[in-house]
Order: sequence, then C-alpha cells, then structure tokens
Amino acid sequence: MAARRGIRVLAVEVDAKGDLAEALGHPPVGFRPVVVQRNLSVLALHPEDSFQEYLAIFFKVPRFTRLTPLKGVFDFIATGVPGPRDMLLIGKIAHEERRREGDGRPLWDLIVVDATSSGEVLPQLTAARSMRRLVRGGMLRSQVDFVDAMVTDHRKTALCITALPEEMPVVEALQLHDEVVGNTDIGLGPCFLNRSIAALSSPRQRQLVDLLATGGARSAATVLGEGVQGLVAGVRLADALGRLGQPFARRLAAGLSVPVLTIPLVAARPGLATTRVVAAALESAA
Amino acid sequence: MSRVPGEPGPGEPAEAAAAPRLADRLGALDVIVCCGSGGVGKTTVSAALAAAIASTSDRRVMVLTIDPARRLASALGMAGLGADPIAVSPTRLREAGLPLRGQLVAATLDQKSVWDRMVERYSPSRQVARRILQNRFYQGISDAFAGSHEYAALEALYELHEEGEYDCLVVDTPPSRSALDFLEAPERVADFVGARLLSWLAHPSRLGFHAMNLAAAPLLHIADRLLGSEMLGELGDFVGDLQTLYGGVQQRARAVGRLLRSRRVGFVLVTTLEAPACAEAERFASTLRELSMPLRALVINRVLPNLLTDEAAIRAADILVDDHRGARALGRALGVPVDAASAAALGRAHRLLSELARREAGQLTRLGRLTDVPSVEVPLITAPVSDLEGLVRVAGML
Repeated sequence: MAARRGIRVLAVEVDAKGDLAEALGHPPVGFRPVVVQRNLSVLALHPEDSFQEYLAIFFKVPRFTRLTPLKGVFDFIATGVPGPRDMLLIGKIAHEERRREGDGRPLWDLIVVDATSSGEVLPQLTAARSMRRLVRGGMLRSQVDFVDAMVTDHRKTALCITALPEEMPVVEALQLHDEVVGNTDIGLGPCFLNRSIAALSSPRQRQLVDLLATGGARSAATVLGEGVQGLVAGVRLADALGRLGQPFARRLAAGLSVPVLTIPLVAARPGLATTRVVAAALESAA
Repeated sequence: MSRVPGEPGPGEPAEAAAAPRLADRLGALDVIVCCGSGGVGKTTVSAALAAAIASTSDRRVMVLTIDPARRLASALGMAGLGADPIAVSPTRLREAGLPLRGQLVAATLDQKSVWDRMVERYSPSRQVARRILQNRFYQGISDAFAGSHEYAALEALYELHEEGEYDCLVVDTPPSRSALDFLEAPERVADFVGARLLSWLAHPSRLGFHAMNLAAAPLLHIADRLLGSEMLGELGDFVGDLQTLYGGVQQRARAVGRLLRSRRVGFVLVTTLEAPACAEAERFASTLRELSMPLRALVINRVLPNLLTDEAAIRAADILVDDHRGARALGRALGVPVDAASAAALGRAHRLLSELARREAGQLTRLGRLTDVPSVEVPLITAPVSDLEGLVRVAGML
C-alpha cells in the first residue's frame, strides 16, 4: 500500500522463513535487501549475518574469520547469548534506518517489520533498554543508546499488534497492549484484526436463508440446481463463524487504546494476489 | 498416514469409527509432547488428549503448560492455574459428559523458578549459587535467554518424569521460533553455560589458552572497545561462576535428550490446514526424524466439513454471485421478492468457505504424504471451545 503511493519501503522478516518475500510474489530472500516490487525491498534477518556485518563495519573484521578457531565465539555471541542475539536483530533494523543516499536522503522512507510472535516481541524491542542496564561504557553503550532511542521515539517507531477474532489471540493481544502501555516507552500504531468473516448482516439475508432451508429448497432448485441444501449449510457455517468472532472483536476494540482496523479473511493462498486484496482492505479501512 | 477419525462430519464414513482412538493408541506412553506452530490449538488438544486418556484408562495424567498460563486454565474451565498441580474436578468433567476412570491434574510452569532450581542444583556451593542468583547478568538472562521457555518446559518435564508421581505427562509446548529451538533447548543451554570460549574472551590468562592468544588478540581488543574493561571483567567473573554448573547441566541435557528419544515418549504434531501451519508441521516432522525423536500422531485441527466442496452447492453460489438475473428468478420460484444484494451476499459467504475448503483438501493430501503415523481430523467447531464442555467435545474426538 505504501509502495504504491511512492514511499520507498523496506520489509523485514524476522524469523527468516521466507513467508514475507513469498507474500510479495518473490522467492525467499537473504540478509541483503532485494527489490521485489517497485519501491519495495525485502530482507530476512539472521543474527549471525548481522553480527558479521556489524564487525565488518565497525572493526573491519573480514568474513574469513569464520574459518578460524574463533568461529565458536562468533556463533555463540550471534545465536546463543540472549541480549546480543536480540540486539543484533533490532540493531540491523536501526542500521537500515540510518542508511542514507548520496544526497543525504534516507535510503528508506518506511521500514515495515514482520516481527516475531506476541510472546517474544517485547524482549526483542526492549533488548536495547535491557542492555543499557548492563553496559555502562565502551562503544556498545552509545550504539545501544541509539537503538533504544529509535525504538522509543514515537515519531519513528510504532508497534502494530495483529490479532484474530478468536479468544486466545485477543487475550494475547490485550496482554501485549497492556504490557507495552504499562511497562515500556514504545508507541503503538493501529491494531489489525485479521481474517475476519462477516456474519449475515441484514434481516433480508437471514430470511432468504431460512426460506431456502425450510420449504423453498425444491422451488429454488429450478433456478439454483441441486446444491441448495449444501449452499444453505455453507452460508450458515460462514454466518456462525462470523457471529463467533464478533464478541472477541468487540472485546479487542474495548480493551485497546488504539483503533482497530478489520481485514477480511481472504480465501486465496498466500501470495501477491492475496497481499493486494489485504492492501486494498487496509486502504479502505484506514 | 492411517486415519483415526474424529467426530464423523456430514458425509464422513461411519465404518471408520471402529478404528482405535488416539487416546487408546497413546495412553500407555509416559510422556506425550504436543508440538506445532503457534495458533493451531495445541493447548486445547493437549488438555483434551489428557482428559481423553484419563477417561479411557485408570492412569494418573498430568497436563503441563508453560505459556501463557491462562490458556490451559481456560481450556479446563478453571479460574486460574499455578505452578502447583491442581486436580481437575471429576464431578465437573462427568457433568460435562466425560466421566474419568483415572485422574487428571494440570499445572503451569514458573520458568524463572526452573532456572533458579537449576542453578541451586548444580552449583558447587551455596555461595556460588547465591552469587549467580543475585548477579544482574543472570537476572537478565533467565527471562530473556533464547530458548529459556523451551528449556524450562523440558527441564520440568524431566523432573516430573523422574519423580514418577504421574503415569502420563502431556506437555503443551511453548510457541517456538522453530522446531529446533524446542527440541535442542537442553543442548543449547548446556552450550550456553559451558561457553568456555566466552570465558577465555573475558579472562584469557586464567584458562591458559596461550596458543590461541595470537588469534584472540583482535577479538579481545574488540570486546574491550565494545564493552569497556569494567564490564568485561564483571562479565568474566559471572561466566566463571556460571561455568561451575557446566558438568551437571551437560549431564542433564544428555538425560533429557535420551528421554525424548525413548520408546516411552511420543510426539503429537498439531496443525491446522492453513499453509504456514502445514509448512511448519512439515519442518517439525522432518526435524523429529533427523533427531530420531518418535512422532506418534498427527492432529489436524479445525478442519472444514466436506460439504463445502460439493460441486452442486458451489454452482448454486456462483449463480447467486455472478448471474444478475438469478435473484429475480429465485424470487419468482420462491414466490417472494429477492433482492440481488442479499442473494449475492449469500453466494459470497458460501464461496469464501468453499474456496478455503478446496485449499484445505490440497493441504490434507500434502500432509498425507508427510508421515505414516495415525492422524485425527478435528472438525471446525462453531462454538467456543474455551470451556469444559468444549474441551470434552474435542476430547471425544481423540
């Protein structure tokens, strides 16, 4: 949606499973940003690559270090230690945010991060804040300060919680919201309620279903063929699923301090076509 | 993949109901680990499977969860759940339609206390344990360590199995970034605690790796510039203390690994038929094979009914959506006015689910090629399953 408006977007996938690139019609990408659409690039985060890049930029450590006995140290710091691992992920995003064109303009107007699950996202976003408590000096301190400032600057960063209209996703979304508001300085963007199914919305629609279900099936078959009963069963199932989600959607909206944008369930398989449908839904919801 | 049907849906073959139920097939195991990607209903399936085993056998069954506590409590119809095991009321279960032959107990884990117990168990002295527990680095890592949820679940599982108070432990695993994060958590923790190279980085002279000092000098320089010498020294002292735990933790990691590969343990892979969940299930099954860990069953949750792929119904929906004369003709046939918008809304509602059901059918075929273990299809339930009645309904399908 943003790229179509001419905004230069970097989409970042944190768990590096390749789903984000595929959703944008491109095969899985690596650690370097790859242009997948006009104004839209994607990269997949890997803590190990992030660490290598960090060392190369700040300490001129070459990649061949990985062939030396120090490999264990690199692997350990990049993937084993809690704070640094999360810092390397969020640090790479901060690095991309800082990148500039030759004329001084930012390389990206917007960075959209497909973050990890709601239970794991806060340790990542607050990794810099946690490290500030541990690191008192050295070069790392100033870098940690920079990352923390970026994450907590409401003009730069917003966390957008995404939920489904089901009980546990809504409970977890509300828990995350309360934790962010109560215990962090991170700003919140709108919440996305994804995969919503519309219940039958008008009395006329319900009357028609009842009519088809009770006495009208035989008469309707002259127009609709032999599938009237199956049609009614499917419509009633969709209606039931839509109704099932409604109280959870209301609970979500009531518990959040930010607006909720509803995105309808799209039946097509994940890919560019589905992404375009979701983008259109977001555009109209916004 | 041999099929163990759940509740027969419309059009389901009735003869298949004679096949052994999943609870019968798995009920003799000591440990059942329910795994799969987030949001597929692992907690509900874990609790329902535990309830089904306790209803079909006289075993003492414990269902154990780590994250978040409220999910299991809600599935079991309880107000809350803590680290202390709580018996699920047999009376309430009977009233909900599931009489118990055995016992059903539920608990959640306090991951911090699992870590603290590990430190206390393996420290060479109380002073070292106290030093570690009070250290600010430790207080940060025991919550934030990559894999700490997974490690806590497996550590507690091992403790409970060793204590032998329960005949069957059903574990609801935490949502992991990947299958490996969960399955290799004990080894990762052992590697973390035993990271000799980091200690050497902090105190190179102490460990006497003189031969490596030449190679290490640039790294030490980096560490010093990065962290500052004060923090580097402090970190070195902490790592030094932490490494006194290494022998015990490594031994435990090996024991947990042996348990997870034993014949008394079974993994149940839970998935829905959505593409990302199926892809994660494929990765999980492949990882289990690589690690020689026994996958015993596949539970496919929230399966849409077959009637949605009925071609005649799909054609009827197409007429309502695409044929602008359809509504008028339908009105004439029914003898009441039918507006085109209402007719199209009905057609679209059916089309949405029928398209999903078609995709699901494709995923089901793909999953069928994944493994030859028994599978159960749990149909989509259009009522809340977050109470005891809902849980009993799912248990009846397992």
